[in-house]
Amino acid sequence: MNAILKTEKLRVEFKNRETRQAAKVALLGLDLQVNGGEVFGFLGPNGAGKTTTINVLLGFVQPTSGTASLFGINVGQPIARQRIGYLPEMTYYYKFLTAEELLRFYSKIFGLPGPEAERRIDGVLKLVELESSRKRLIKTYSKGMQQRVGLAQALINNPDLLILDEPTSGLDPLGRMKVREIIQRLKTEGKTVFFSSHELGEVETICDRVAIIHQGELKAVGPVNEIMGRRASLEKAFLDIVGYQPQPTP
Amino acid sequence: MRNILAVADIVIKELYRRKDFYVLFIVTILICLVMASVNIFNNPDIIRYVKSLCLLLIWVSSLVIAITTTARQIPAEREQRTLLPLLAKPLSRSQLIVGKFLGCWIACGLALLCFYAFFGALSASREHHWPVLSYLQAGLMHWVALAVVIALTLLGSLVFAAPSSNATICFVIVGGILFVGRYLDVVALSLQKPWQTIIYAVYFVIPHLEFFDMRKLIIHDWPLIQWRFIGLASLYGVAYAAFFLAAACLVFRRKAVN
Amino acid sequence: MNPARTLFLSLVALLVFCFGFAAWLQPQFQDLPFNRSVSMDFWGNLLDDSRDLFANSAFVTADEYYHSGYYPTIFDNNQAFETPHMAEDTGAVASRNSGDETGFMGKPRDWIDAFGRHFIPNRHTHLDEGGPTDDLSTSSEVKEILPWLKLSAELDPEDVKTFVVTAFWLRTRLDETRQAEQVLREGLRYNPGNPQLLFELGRVYFESYHNIPRARMIWEAALRMWHAEAPDKLLSERLNLANQNFDDRFIYEQLQVHLANLEQAAGNYPAAIARWELARPASPTPDDVDRHIADLKQKLSAAKDKSAT
Repeated sequence: MNAILKTEKLRVEFKNRETRQAAKVALLGLDLQVNGGEVFGFLGPNGAGKTTTINVLLGFVQPTSGTASLFGINVGQPIARQRIGYLPEMTYYYKFLTAEELLRFYSKIFGLPGPEAERRIDGVLKLVELESSRKRLIKTYSKGMQQRVGLAQALINNPDLLILDEPTSGLDPLGRMKVREIIQRLKTEGKTVFFSSHELGEVETICDRVAIIHQGELKAVGPVNEIMGRRASLEKAFLDIVGYQPQPTP
Repeated sequence: MRNILAVADIVIKELYRRKDFYVLFIVTILICLVMASVNIFNNPDIIRYVKSLCLLLIWVSSLVIAITTTARQIPAEREQRTLLPLLAKPLSRSQLIVGKFLGCWIACGLALLCFYAFFGALSASREHHWPVLSYLQAGLMHWVALAVVIALTLLGSLVFAAPSSNATICFVIVGGILFVGRYLDVVALSLQKPWQTIIYAVYFVIPHLEFFDMRKLIIHDWPLIQWRFIGLASLYGVAYAAFFLAAACLVFRRKAVN
Repeated sequence: MNPARTLFLSLVALLVFCFGFAAWLQPQFQDLPFNRSVSMDFWGNLLDDSRDLFANSAFVTADEYYHSGYYPTIFDNNQAFETPHMAEDTGAVASRNSGDETGFMGKPRDWIDAFGRHFIPNRHTHLDEGGPTDDLSTSSEVKEILPWLKLSAELDPEDVKTFVVTAFWLRTRLDETRQAEQVLREGLRYNPGNPQLLFELGRVYFESYHNIPRARMIWEAALRMWHAEAPDKLLSERLNLANQNFDDRFIYEQLQVHLANLEQAAGNYPAAIARWELARPASPTPDDVDRHIADLKQKLSAAKDKSAT
């Protein structure tokens, strides 16, 4: 299998500004591998280290030790991000730009030639159904529309790997369905999708493999049905793996 | 270079879509026109006091535009989380810093062009001559000074968390240099050690922005400065701007952006 | 009663009371000694006691313009600029300068200072002598100092030298004799009978209108006013070289010399000699005055001999 995303013994410590001592260990030697063409779900409770892992993969946070690579290139090099698309959990885009201008800006950074960029902009705007609002300033968009702009910018370079950080959080059911459809479509196009989510039902439906992380440690990784085992749902399996003990009702 | 220009383009778009520049430009025009309309002993050709006021307003406006625009660049990207999708692209942090610098500098250059065009028109209306080369020298030097100011503010925006505190500190530093930078050594002589040594060292370390302030020369129609001095001063300014930019890149290189 | 109507009537009553009270207060306020609306003008209200400071600053700015920006700051050696040249050249004030004006910057302190001097005015020039261009045909550029003089006069109308200097440049370089006369009359409105203003007004009549009787009359009036300024003070005390009020002595000397010249031009040598002798104690160069008196006495005796033959 060709590993598109790989981390080895990845450790991230956040230091206290005054004492310069490790105040929090976010990742404890994480070993992860995502192969080409698969939809990979990255699960964990809040504060487990999901976003930190994504931040390391995108070069936002420097690992304390260990390595992370995309397409075999160390994430420290900007070129490693040439073939990826990224949708953050919550983002506001430049309010003084229109969706079209924003996408043109990002396509310049990817080095897309003019006609190719225009073709891609038309394509992604059609995909996220923002064609009619393409010349409106982003500050006039609703939250759902802004999330769709986010998705459009993540797809502008026709990425081979899409990293989505809780892509459906805050969206209405229609919006969620739309995102799910897009992920399915990318999967059929042979793209790799790596996404973190709390929507376990959604993960169960669309993911080939999942990894469960808890307190910075990888607790389980494998195909969805393997992780589920004999349990009724992925949610049940998840709760078991992170060691959730239900409180007896009085 | 492509990435740097793309980032710069966005900064320029931001400046001309915000109202700051237009407000300052219109206020400058209004104040100058009102002052020019004052009757001074029925002599309509008196202009130097208006030139002086106009250039003062241009300097103040340009510093306000340069510092406030630059100070909010990186903090706003972080606060609004636009930095995350941006740095997730094949764009290095140094390219982002240089792009932001270039955008602010070009935007300020465009603003200066408008201001100096107005200044030229205003003075030509009464002096009946247009020393274009003198204005070009003054505008060029002004623009180089803004390069230093912008680079300094960009560095400040990575060191100080709040844009307002950064902007205030930069205003104080730049204003201080422009007013007393040339005389810090004289001030040092009147002090006791170790302050004398410290102030004297500061005198040699700071960028002497007063080199770039040619207002008196163009107000009073002094002849052109030799171009080699303009070239040397520009090199001096570019060196300081490059130093501050390099420091900004260094600070931003390992800074967590989340 | 309807509560809404009660409220309405109360408001009307309140309004009537307010207007009535204001109408009663207004005349009382006008009579108050500290009422600024009658005792001070716009600048007075805006700047209060600091107006003199700003007036002086505007006057110094005028002198800076006269030097096309070549001027010392508070950090430079500004002792050489004790008396503004712009005023000194008009003959309005006595010079107290040391003569080091051209080199107030001194030698460059270091390379920063040396390099920085390329970007600031670095040569001593006067606007009425062509300024930085050294082109004497542009001497009317001295008009550029007028806005600052006007501002200075508006801020501190009791400072007579501002009116004198303004009038001089309007008259001599801009051919605006009527404007100059108006400026001096404006100055006299604020400073009635001021000898310095009267002296300058006399010059307007003498040099520009060539109205010698009127000039003589004004100068004689100026001398009377000069004496009347300090009637209790001995003349010798006022004219003593130790008197720190240079301008007081200077204006007396100027008046006597100008009147002496009038007498001399009319061929009235004894009266001219008498005027020169009066001017002598106030002159910073009494030997020159003595030579002049001797010269006049020679002329007088020659005239007597001529009339005898």
